[in-house]
This record gives sequence, structure tokens and C-alpha cells, in this order.
Amino acid sequence: MTDLVMEAKHVYKKFGKESTKVKKIGTQTCVATEQIVEAVKDVSIQIRKGDIKLIFGPSGSGKSTFLRCMAMLEIPDKGEIYLRDECLTRPGVDLNKARAKIGFVFQHIYLFRHLTALGNVELALRQVLKLPKEEAYKRALAALADVKVTDCVNKYPSQMSGGQAQRVGIARAIARDPEIILLDEPTSALDPELTGEVIDTLRDLAKQGTTMVIVSHEMPFAREVAEEMIFYDEGTVVETGPPPLFFNAPNTDRAKKFMTRIINRTTRE
Amino acid sequence: MFEFLFNPTFQSWILQGLLLTVEITMFGVLMGLGLGTLLAIGDIYGKKPIKIAIATYVEIFRGSPLFVQLFLAVYTVPAILNVQIDHAILAFLVFGLNSAGYQKGYMKGAIETIMGDQTEASLSVGLSKIQTLRHVILPQAYRIVIPSWTNEFCSLTKSTATLAFVGFLDLVGAGRSILINNMQIMPVWIVIAIIYLAWITGFSKIMDIIYEKEKIPGIELSMQS
Repeated sequence: MTDLVMEAKHVYKKFGKESTKVKKIGTQTCVATEQIVEAVKDVSIQIRKGDIKLIFGPSGSGKSTFLRCMAMLEIPDKGEIYLRDECLTRPGVDLNKARAKIGFVFQHIYLFRHLTALGNVELALRQVLKLPKEEAYKRALAALADVKVTDCVNKYPSQMSGGQAQRVGIARAIARDPEIILLDEPTSALDPELTGEVIDTLRDLAKQGTTMVIVSHEMPFAREVAEEMIFYDEGTVVETGPPPLFFNAPNTDRAKKFMTRIINRTTRE
Repeated sequence: MFEFLFNPTFQSWILQGLLLTVEITMFGVLMGLGLGTLLAIGDIYGKKPIKIAIATYVEIFRGSPLFVQLFLAVYTVPAILNVQIDHAILAFLVFGLNSAGYQKGYMKGAIETIMGDQTEASLSVGLSKIQTLRHVILPQAYRIVIPSWTNEFCSLTKSTATLAFVGFLDLVGAGRSILINNMQIMPVWIVIAIIYLAWITGFSKIMDIIYEKEKIPGIELSMQS
């Protein structure tokens, strides 16, 4: 199909090297082994234009690493990442150009601390897209208006609330008109009362038909906007399906357990 | 007691001395900043041989007395190479090279405190590594490094006193020349000290103002000069 925006094929990523060190301390022998952590084990995923996919699962299971591999912020050890027809994992690909077409929103926001909200959004427009000053300014303002932070235009990151900062982060990701936006737990570093405003922004993006992959545990939001939910555990995709499947009766035990826990927590709050 | 201050010859010596001290410090700090930045970048991003070369450079210039470096540069090196180079040029270079040895450390520290998440954010919007350095890392690093830079300026200014011992008329050189003609040891050195003090205090204040003005909310350093 031609509307395939992004595809990951058999992606594999591990951290650390397996090593065994034997040390003699007095009469005792210590064996220190360093284990490999396989964060992503043979994961494949296809994203079509306008898709909204939500990846969820226990923390430490490698969801973020997989998302970072898709953005080529982490280079996969094996497997291929395609953006449209271009294979990003082939050697010699201009990764900067590729990354310019992918929006990424970080859990810990990572705004440029020396730039105002406007500067944060403008930087890539000026330096990557090489837009003239006027146009970059207009587009940056428009992106900031889209996420409703026009009152922060001239504020520095440290002068904003977490919710405002994350919305600026989203504006920075969408201003370039990327093919796809990858969001790595965009609300989990925020106070509960601030997550609402970020979720509202994401809902707006969903309405505009933005292609998104979101790592998140915001279940009500997932139910509302996601076409497909992906349950990810121990480096692999355990189960995928539309939200009703997960909310009613997941097929796998692991997904069932996780859903029960997360729904209990949400209803208690 | 201070009548030597009204002697026009002495006045011109002091003025010349101050000028040389100021010139060589300014040059040294600026060259040190440029070269120190390059060394810091090389040390952080470079391959092993580059790192070793940089570490050696830093140890040599930081680990030996400035006076010895100056002496070797002015007398020994031209003799070995059998060339005639203006002593002033050599002295200026020594101050720049020496300062770079220290400033590399300041810059490296500043870059390392900001590079992690800021680099990732910068790459994620499509900037290249060089653009990241230029537009994201260095603008923040320079702001952080201003107080260390002020310290470097103070210490370099006082190091210029060594110039007198390789035949230059810096402030201390001027003091020495006056002493030969006028044996008022205490007053002469008091005057020289006051001139150093005034210049360093004034300049540090200017740097503090620049630091406050350039300071970006959220990028602050607990260490203050």
C-alpha cells in the first residue's frame, strides 16, 4: 500500500556486553557477570497515514527504546526501519534529513534551555528547513497557537509549567510538518492536574489526522483515539488489537493482568 | 614618598607596562577560549589518539610553570630552530597556549553538563552534530563558563608579572625599572599592586554584569567567582 508511512522490520536492540570477570579476594572467588539487556527483540510494526497507535506495557520493558529506534535516536543492532520508501538503517543514509521528517516528543520534555518557546520551535525551521526568518517566525507562532501556548511565546523553559513546556515540546515536533510524530510517555513526568492539558493537545492532533505512535498509559485517552493498542513486554509485542479488545477481554494472560492492574489504578483515582 | 608618580618618565613606564599587561591578558584569554573550546570538543568527541594528544598538551601547559614556558619560548626555541622571531609574538602565543590548557577543562565541564538531553533533543529535530554544537551546546556552555572565565582572566593578569623576567616592560617590569632609579621599595610596589587591583576588580565587575545579563533562567551554575 502506498500510504505506509513508517515500518519497522524485525528490529533488535540490546544493551551491554556479556562478560564474566573472575576475581579472587583472599580465599574467595567472586564471579561478576554482566548481562545483556535485550530491550527490543524482533519487533515489527507498520504505520499508515493517519494511524494512531498506542504502545503500553510495564516500565523497563523496552517500549521507549523501540520508539527511539524508530526515530533513529538509537541505532538498532538488527532489523530495518523504513520511512516511506527510504530505509533508514542502511549505512550512508543522511540521518539528519530523516530525523527532520520525524517528530519526537520526550518524556522529560528536553526543551532547549537557552531558547524561548518561540526559539525552541524556530530553531529547526531556520537551520534544518532553511526557511527565511519571516516564514519561520510565522510557522513557529502557528505551531505554538495549535498547542495553545501563545502566552508562553517569549518565556524560557524554566519559566513555564510542566504542561506548558510539554506542549511547547509538541509544537517543536509538529512545526516541521513531519510525516509522523513519536511520543514517548508525554504525560508521565507531569503532575496529574497538568496531564489533562497535554492530553487535550494530543486529542486535537488526533482530530487533525496526525499520524502518531504514543507510548502511554493514559487508558481513557487510548480508548478514545487509538485505532490499535500494542501491549509490549520484555522486549516484544505480546498482543495487538483495537482498544475494545484490551478493555473487554485480552487474549493473553500477561495483557489481562496488566489491564486489570492499570484499570484498577485509574478507577481508584 | 610617592613623588616618583609625578616623574614623566616613570609615568610613561607604568602606562606602557599596564598596556602590555592588559593586551597580553586579553589576547591570552581570547586565544585560550578559542583553542580551549576546540580542545574540549576534540576531547569529548574525538577518537583515542586525539584524546591522548589533547591530554598531553594540557598536562604540559598546566603542569609546568608559566615562567619556564615563557623562558623556553623566548630564548630556547628560537635558538634550537635557529630562527629570529619577535619576542613579543612568542610571549603572546605562550599566554594563549597556556590559557587554553586551563580553559579546555572549563569548557569540557560545561559542555558535559548540558550535552546529554540537549543533544538528543537537537538531533530529534533534524539538526546535524555540528549544528547541535553551534546552536545548542556552545551557546549554553559559554554562559555557564563565564565565571570560570573571569577567574582565568584574574590569574592570567597576575601571571603577566613573569614577563618582566624575560625582558619585557610589563607592570612589574615598570616597577623594577623605577626601583633602579628610586629606592622607595614599598611605595613603588604598593602603587603597582593598586593598579593590578583596580584593573582586575574593574574587569571582573564588567564580567559579572555580562554574566547577569546573559544569564538564561534555568541555566545557572552554583559556583560563583
